[in-house]
Amino acid sequence: MNPLIFSGVAIGLLFGFALQRGRFCMNSAFRDVLLMRDFTLLKAVGVALLVELVGFEIMALTGVISLAPKPLMWGANIVGGVLFGVGMVIAGGCASGITYRVGEGMVGAMSAVLGFLFAGLMSVMGVLKPVVGYLQTTTKVMTADDKSLTLANIFGLPHSVMAFGIAAVAIIIWVAWALTHKSDEDEFGDKPRSLAERIFKRGWGWLATGIVIGLIGIIAFPVSAATGRNYPLGITMGHVSIAQTLVTGENKLSWESMLIIGVILGAAIAALIAGEFKLRAPTPGILLQTFAGGLLMGFGAVASGGCNIGHILSGVPQLSIGSIVGGLSIILGAWTAAYLMFVVPEKRASAGQ
Amino acid sequence: MSEHQPTKTLDVRGEICPYPDVNSMTTLKQMAKGEILEILVDYPLSVERIPRSAKKSGHRVLAVDHLDGPNHRILVEAHGLR
Repeated sequence: MNPLIFSGVAIGLLFGFALQRGRFCMNSAFRDVLLMRDFTLLKAVGVALLVELVGFEIMALTGVISLAPKPLMWGANIVGGVLFGVGMVIAGGCASGITYRVGEGMVGAMSAVLGFLFAGLMSVMGVLKPVVGYLQTTTKVMTADDKSLTLANIFGLPHSVMAFGIAAVAIIIWVAWALTHKSDEDEFGDKPRSLAERIFKRGWGWLATGIVIGLIGIIAFPVSAATGRNYPLGITMGHVSIAQTLVTGENKLSWESMLIIGVILGAAIAALIAGEFKLRAPTPGILLQTFAGGLLMGFGAVASGGCNIGHILSGVPQLSIGSIVGGLSIILGAWTAAYLMFVVPEKRASAGQ
Repeated sequence: MSEHQPTKTLDVRGEICPYPDVNSMTTLKQMAKGEILEILVDYPLSVERIPRSAKKSGHRVLAVDHLDGPNHRILVEAHGLR
């Protein structure tokens, strides 16, 4: 085992801390747009992607990293992504969300992680492995010189031109939006008295959260690459590799496994400092529900070749078409499930009155 | 601690995302104007999001009190949408 993989624990501690403080969960980010017309977390995701888009590209141009966009496997990306998206709404959290909430003491998240591990193992080495293999191999599309398709190479543009171009357009739209829309953010309760209180005791705002998560993603890339794993943050294979090692006795631990351990510890530390740690469980029915959601997520993430972190946080800023298709499928699945689970019953209840 | 007398109490401690929010907003919608809902919640994201969504829906947030640990008590006066 490469001793460098333990750097994953350090990055994980930072990542877990930031996830807990920023309440950064893509399940909430996507679902709440539909459910509560709340864009707070979605804005945090957008900022993180923008920071990474620029950061990855600068590191690639200066030779610090070589980009590693995931390949397009459209069938696997779509089927896996949609199932993952449905699963995360049922489980009450995305892959990173259920992981950091284990550190907050949420038993519902723990049962979701168990489901995620179980289905993840079945998909990597068990009965679902042929299904995953079939989906991935039959729908894989590469460039003529066997490279992963990206938003840059499908238009025949240099990667940096596309990346900086998208970043520039995004910033212009953001500034225009900020100038024409009044901020409607309120803080309830007492005002924080110091910077330390703001960092350690209060939930972070979307801008701070997005910037910090983006910067952690940038640092993660070269640090992980130094261990032979040339990719930024990821969650799915970290979980699965730990379970695989425990079940088979064969050492499959990687940088990503260490990242998971760090995330859980980092979130626990953040929650303890803020006084937000508490072992708490929902009703038995909801516990079963989160386990079932975890199962869907485990298969979906392995089939799709990435979860909301591998595809959206780490893949989209590398302009991978596979990650964009996978990410959009996750959002589609999440919206479908949220509509059926929350919007339809609500409408029915209102109509019945 | 706020002095308002709640009409109804909703305990969503232990519930997973987004049930604290969804249950709170559904209950508020069914309450008459001026009635006060007390929400007991321990999920950090919902502690921040419920007051935001309640205000956006026209209800009046009276208080967000920190109890112990992650436990919070949110008091909202219903707008009376019915």
